[in-house]
Amino acid sequence: MRNRRIRLLAAPLLALVGVLAFAGPAHAAGATVGACMAEEIEHLIEEAHGDLDHVKHELHDNKKVQEEIEGCFEAPNPIIPEVNEIIWGGAAFLILFVLMVKKGFPAVKGAMDARAERIRSDLDAAEQAKADAQAVQADYESRLADAKGEASRLVDEARVAADQVRADLIARAEADAAGIRERAAAEAEASKAQAIADLRAEVSGIALGAAERVVQSSLDAEVQGRLIDAYIDEVAGSNG
Amino acid sequence: MADPTVTGYAEALFAVAEAEGDLAAVEDELFRFAQALRSNDELRSTLADQGVPAARRQQVVEDLLGGKAAATTTALVSMVVGAGRAAELPAIVDALVERSAASRNKAVATVRSAVDLTAEQRERLASAINTRTGRQVEVKVVIDPTVLGGVVTEIGDDIIDGSVRRRLNQLRESFR
Repeated sequence: MRNRRIRLLAAPLLALVGVLAFAGPAHAAGATVGACMAEEIEHLIEEAHGDLDHVKHELHDNKKVQEEIEGCFEAPNPIIPEVNEIIWGGAAFLILFVLMVKKGFPAVKGAMDARAERIRSDLDAAEQAKADAQAVQADYESRLADAKGEASRLVDEARVAADQVRADLIARAEADAAGIRERAAAEAEASKAQAIADLRAEVSGIALGAAERVVQSSLDAEVQGRLIDAYIDEVAGSNG
Repeated sequence: MADPTVTGYAEALFAVAEAEGDLAAVEDELFRFAQALRSNDELRSTLADQGVPAARRQQVVEDLLGGKAAATTTALVSMVVGAGRAAELPAIVDALVERSAASRNKAVATVRSAVDLTAEQRERLASAINTRTGRQVEVKVVIDPTVLGGVVTEIGDDIIDGSVRRRLNQLRESFR
């Protein structure tokens, strides 16, 4: 900061020193080549009293006139101004310099300070924003980790639940299958028993029918008489 | 059993048969007719049909019994049928038989057999029942082919079953 201020002061001083050191006398006759030549030619016309041929002759033959004309082509000192210009310029410069030191420099300094302060605050804000962003990022990462953990836990729970459901379904299916097998076995057993009973009834019916026919055919009068006698004997024998 | 109509008719029939002096024969003929009526649905429905005029029904009785049974028997059956009591005739005859036996201090033993019993078998059976139950009985034989063989005796509510049918039924039960 201090170096910058020194450089700001040094620049105009060096310019002033340069101007003064290389300053030379300004051209006395005039400021420009055209004006100088016009002035010389007017001077020749006045000396010749309006005789242009004489003037032309002077310009071609008179060495002195030619030197004076050529003198117009010598450039004035480009660095050293006129003394009055130096005075006015110096005064203006000093006034400007004082104004700059009194007014411009504080304004520039204030602007620079404000800009530095703004940049600093921007940097601080950026730093804060970066910290905030890092905090947010950390928060996101934490949440992401939590979400991953939660997802993993949910997947594990779902897997456990699915295993449980599968085990339940298998157990139920096995129980149902066992029940169906038992019922089928019981029904088969019942059907078998019913078939045996039906067959037995059928066989006994056929056998009894045959026996009845045999008995009927064999019951002649003699047998009937013996049966009645046997019955009477039985009634008489079984007293009471 | 205690139907006063049946009892009344039985008393009337008993009194008439006794008065006519051939109670035993009439009683026996009435018993046989009653058994025939029990076993013949067509005859029973014909004689009991109130739509048929009483004279027509009595004519049927005359055609069936005339000349085969005692006149008293025919007259009594004709009277009952004419009175419209043909359906109750078997019960009336049962009551008459019981009333008749009771008059001789005896009970009635209804004997069902596939074949008729001889007189000797009836006497022996009555004696055997007396020996077994201590009751004097009169044996009334009912021919029942379903008995197949042997005898079923009913004395009141007591039944002595010695039939072949029963043995066949026992055999059938044992198969189950």
